[in-house]
Amino acid sequence: MALFEVENLTYYYPDTKAPSLRCVNLAIEEGEFLLIAGGSGSGKSSLARALTGLIPNFYGGKIGGKVSYQNRDIRSWSRQDLAREIGMVFQDPEKQLVMTGVEAEVAFGLENLGLPQDEMFRRVAEVMSFLNLTALKAEFTSTLSGGQKQKLALGSVLAMQPHTLILDEPTSQLAPAAAEEFFHLIKRMNEEMNLTIVLVEQRLDRCFHLADRVVVMANGTIVQDGPPGESAVWLIANDLPFVPPVAALFARVGAPEIPLTVKEGRRLLKKILCCGNTPGTGQEQLKENLIDNDSEPVIEVKNLWFSYPNGREALRDINLLVAPGEFLAVLGENAAGKTTLLKQLVGLLKPNRGKVMIMGRDTRRAATHELAHYTGYLPQNPNDFLFQDTVEEELRFTLANLNLPDKGRVEQLLGRLGLIQHRHANPRDLSSGERQRVALAAVMVATPQLLVLDEPTRCIDYGMKATLGNWLQEIAAGGTAVVMVTHDVDFAAEYACRVVMLFDGRIAFDGPKHAALGSSMFYSPQIGRIFRGMDNNVLTLREALNRIPLNLN
Amino acid sequence: MEKWKFPLFFLLVTGLLAFSIIADSPVKLNWSLLSAGIVGAAIIFLFRGFEQSPASTREIAVIAVLGAVAALGRVSLSALPNIQPVTFLVIVSGYVFGARTGFMVGSTAALASNFFLGQGPWTPWQMFAWGLAGASAAYFRAVFPGAGKWALALFQFTWGYLFGCMMNIWTWTAFIHPLSWQSFLATWAASLWFDSLHALGNVFFYLFFGGSVIKILNRVQKKIAVSRLPVQNIPPSNNHHYKTN
Amino acid sequence: MPQNFFYQEKGLFLQSLHPAASLTLIAAFFLLALCFSHPLYLLGLLLVILFSLWAADGLAAWESYLKAVLWLGLLIMLINALVNHSGSTILWRSPALPLLGQLSVSMEAISYGAAMGVRLLDVVSAFCLFNLIVHPDRFFSLFSTFARKSSLVVSLATRLFPLLLATLGQIREAQQLRGVDFSRGSLRERTVKNAALFNILLLSALEDSLQMAEAMQARAFGSGPRSRYRRDLFRPRDGICLAGVGFSLVAAAYNLARDLGSYTYFPQLGSLWGGNFSMIALAAVLLGLSLPALLSWGCNHWPYLKWKI
Repeated sequence: MALFEVENLTYYYPDTKAPSLRCVNLAIEEGEFLLIAGGSGSGKSSLARALTGLIPNFYGGKIGGKVSYQNRDIRSWSRQDLAREIGMVFQDPEKQLVMTGVEAEVAFGLENLGLPQDEMFRRVAEVMSFLNLTALKAEFTSTLSGGQKQKLALGSVLAMQPHTLILDEPTSQLAPAAAEEFFHLIKRMNEEMNLTIVLVEQRLDRCFHLADRVVVMANGTIVQDGPPGESAVWLIANDLPFVPPVAALFARVGAPEIPLTVKEGRRLLKKILCCGNTPGTGQEQLKENLIDNDSEPVIEVKNLWFSYPNGREALRDINLLVAPGEFLAVLGENAAGKTTLLKQLVGLLKPNRGKVMIMGRDTRRAATHELAHYTGYLPQNPNDFLFQDTVEEELRFTLANLNLPDKGRVEQLLGRLGLIQHRHANPRDLSSGERQRVALAAVMVATPQLLVLDEPTRCIDYGMKATLGNWLQEIAAGGTAVVMVTHDVDFAAEYACRVVMLFDGRIAFDGPKHAALGSSMFYSPQIGRIFRGMDNNVLTLREALNRIPLNLN
Repeated sequence: MEKWKFPLFFLLVTGLLAFSIIADSPVKLNWSLLSAGIVGAAIIFLFRGFEQSPASTREIAVIAVLGAVAALGRVSLSALPNIQPVTFLVIVSGYVFGARTGFMVGSTAALASNFFLGQGPWTPWQMFAWGLAGASAAYFRAVFPGAGKWALALFQFTWGYLFGCMMNIWTWTAFIHPLSWQSFLATWAASLWFDSLHALGNVFFYLFFGGSVIKILNRVQKKIAVSRLPVQNIPPSNNHHYKTN
Repeated sequence: MPQNFFYQEKGLFLQSLHPAASLTLIAAFFLLALCFSHPLYLLGLLLVILFSLWAADGLAAWESYLKAVLWLGLLIMLINALVNHSGSTILWRSPALPLLGQLSVSMEAISYGAAMGVRLLDVVSAFCLFNLIVHPDRFFSLFSTFARKSSLVVSLATRLFPLLLATLGQIREAQQLRGVDFSRGSLRERTVKNAALFNILLLSALEDSLQMAEAMQARAFGSGPRSRYRRDLFRPRDGICLAGVGFSLVAAAYNLARDLGSYTYFPQLGSLWGGNFSMIALAAVLLGLSLPALLSWGCNHWPYLKWKI
C-alpha cells in the first residue's frame, strides 16, 4: 500500500470560481523522491499543501475527493500527529522563521509538539550538528544569509523528525551554490534516512536527476507521471519547457538515451562528436557579439571605489563602459559587490573615489530622482514596487513623476506585455509573473536609456523566463542599454551579449559572453559544461543544436 | 460573562486608578508601587484573555505584522517629538479587527519598539495605554456604528491626550509629592504641548493614511473571515465531469 | 541606526546569567528604587546600578538613556518645587498670579525633587541594564509557558522588525528610481509620497503574514499542549546572585519596617546620617545587589573563579 493516496482530489480556494486542483490521482510510495514540476498556476503548490493537510485545514474552501496518508484520510489525523509525520519547507526562508535566535527557532516546532526537555535538547543538538548550524547557534536569525536561513528552516522542520518532507520551491530565493548544497542535503536524507521526499520545483536542472519519479502538472491536473528520463521525453514531445537543458538537448537531437546529468551528457556527446565532427573555433560568433563603441556610452564608470559607512570596502577600482543597445549580465557570488555596483549605476549610491556617469551626467552631482529620467530599475521583488489600485495607474504614476505625457504609451506597452486584459485589475491580485510584468511595464513606460534589473528570474518559471529574455533582447535592440545582476548563468548565457564577473569588489572579467562563460569552470551554463573542452563556444541550446547533427538514430 | 470580562476589567482598573488620585488615604500606601502593580496586573489579565481566545495562527501573524509595522513607524520617526503613527495604526487596527486584536497590536508595538528604542519603566504603561487605545476603537465602532471620518479623527485626537494622561499617572505617582489634583494637573500641563503634538500627529496620520490603511486592513480581514468558514465538501458525483476533460 | 539599543551578545558574565536571575536582579533594583525615599539609599542604589552597567560594558548606552530622560528629570524637579507647599524653609515667593494664586518654593521641596530625580535615574538605569543583559528570546521563552500566543506575537514582531526595515529601504529606492523625490515639495506632497511608501510596506507585510501563519501551522503551532525549550543552564553563579538579591531584599524589608529607608522631607529635612546602624543596613542592601557585578569583575580577573561558578 502506498504512503500517500490521492483520489479524485478537486479543490477550490475560498471565493474562487476556478478549481486549483481538478480530479488529481496520485500514489506516493514510502522512501520515494518525487519531483512535481509545472509552471506557475499549474496547481503544484496546492497539491503540496493538500498533502500536508494545510488544504483544507488552513485555507478553507471547497474540496472533493480524498487524500490519505498511511491508509487514513488526512483530515481525520490530529494536527499534532500530522506534524510529526509530515514536514514542510516553504519557498521564502524569511517567511517561515519565527524566533529572533537560531537555537530557539529549531526548538519552536518541538515545543509545539509538547516534547519533554531532554528529548528537545537531543533533537536540537542532532539537527544542528547534522546541518552544520552549531556555529550559528547564538546568532540572530536576521543576520544570516539566505542560504543559511533556508538551511535553518529545513533544520527546524527536520528536528520534528518527520517521515515525509514536502518542499515547495525551497531554493527559488537562493544563490546557485546554496541551492546545490540544499539539494544534496535533501538527497542525502532521502538515501541515508529513508525520508520520503516530495519536491515541488520549477528550476529543474539541479534536481531532475535526483528524483525517482517526475510528475508534471498543468492547469490543476497531473499530465505526466513517470521516471525522470521518460518524463523528459514526454515534456519535450509536448513542447513544455520544464526540462533541464541537458535532457532537452539530447531529446531534441533524437538521441537513443536521455542523459540527465552533465557527466552522462558529456559521455554521450563524445560518442556523437567522435563520428567525424571536428570542433569549430567559434570565432565568427565572438565577432558577432562585439558592439561597436562609436556611440556615446550610456554608462561610464571610471576608477570607482566605494566603501560602506561601516567600513566594508564593497567596490574597488571598477572601470566599465556600457553602450546603447548592449545587454550586460553581472555575475558573481554573494557579497561580491553586485548589488552595490547596481546601486552605483542608478545613482542610489555615490562613489567615494572615481566617478560614475549616466548619459554624461556625473551621479555625484545629480539627485537620484533626476537620474530616474534616464534609468529604469526593476527590483528583485516586484512587491516593493506596486501600490496603485489598478495596473494602468501604476504606469501613469511613473509618467506623472517624470512629467512625461501619455500619448497612448500606456496602452501600447500594456498590449505589448500582454497585460491589456488586466489594465483595471489590482496588481496585488495578479500572479507573481504578471506582477513582474506590471513592474517592468511601469519602468519601461518612461522609455529609459538604461534598464537595470536585480535578479529578474528569481521567482519565475521556465516559460516566463524565455518570454522575459526575449523582451529584454527586444528592449536592448531598441537602443536601451540593459544591465542585469543575476545568479542565473543559464539565463545570462541565453540572452545577454556581454558578461561582467565580479569577485570581491573587483571586475574579474569583462567581455563577450562566449569568452566569459565558455572557458569558465563554475560560471558556465549546463550546456556549456557539456561542451567544455570540446567546443568552448557552445553555451546555449540553440548553439548546441547547430553543432550536433540531427536525428542520430 | 466572557464577553463582559474585558469591559468590566477596564472599568475596574480605571476605577482603581481614579481612586488612587482622589483618595486621601489614612494608611501610608506606596502609590508608585501600587500604580505599577495595577498596570502590571491589567496587562497580565488582558494577555490572559488573548491566550484563552480562539485566535488563529493567521490572526497571530497579522497582529505581529501590524505591531512590527507600527514599531517601525515609531522608530523611524523617533527624531520627531512624539509624532508617531503607532496610536493611529493601533486605533485603526482595533477599529477593523476588534478589541482583542487592537489591544494586542498596541501592546506588541510598544514592547517590540522599545527593544530598539530602549526599554524603560514606561514600557508597561505604553503597552497598557496603546492596548487600550486599540481596544477602545472597537468599542467606539460598536457604540457609534455610523461614525464618519471626522468623528474618528476626533477619536484619534482625543487619544493623543488620553495616552499622555495615562503616561503621566506613572510620572505623577512615582515622583511627585503630594498627590493632589493640583499636582496632577501641573504634571499634565507640563506634558501638554507634547500630548498636543501627539494628538495632532494622530489626526494628521489618520487624514492622510486612514482611508488607504482601512481599505488594506479590510481586505485582510475579509480574507481571514473567508478562510474560517467551514470547509465545503463537493459530492463525488460533481467531481465526475472533470475526468472526461 | 535604531539597532543601537538592541541586545548585543558580547559574551559577558552578566549576559551568561540565567534570565530568571537577571530579571530578579533588575526587578529588585526597580522595586527598591520605588520603595526607598532616603537620598543616600537612592544614591547608593544608583552607584550599584552604575557598577553593574560598567560590568555589562554599557556606560555608553547609559549615556544615551540619560539624554532621553534628562528633560523628564528636570520636569519632575520643577513640578515638585512648585506644587509642594509642605516645606517650612521658603526660598522664594512669587507675586500673586491669576488662577494659580501665590506660588512658593521651599528648600524641602527642591530636595525632594532632587531625590526623585535620582529615583528616576535608578529606575531608568535598571531598565538600561535589562536591555544590555537579557536576550529577547530568552526573555520571551521565560513567558512562553503561560503565555504562548502573546509571547509568540511579540517575538515574531521583534524578529520582523529588521526585515521590515530592510524592505522599507528597498521600497524607498524603487520609488526614488521611479522619479519620486522624497525631499522635495510641500509638507502635504511629501506626506503623500511617504504615505505611498508606508502603504506598500503594509500591503507586502500583510500579504507575507499569510505565509508566516501557514509555516507556523505546518510546524504544529497551536495543535495541542506546548512545552518549553530551556537552553539556560542554572549555574552556581545564578544561585549566588539570587542569594545576594534575596539577602538584599530581606535586608531592605527590615530597613523599611524600621523606617530606615525612608526619609523625612517635610516640613523640615531630617538628618541624612540616620545613625551608624542605618548606614550598615544600607551597606548590607547594596552589597547583596552588587554581588553579580562583583562576580563579573572577579571572573574577569581570576579564571579559576570563572571555572568554579
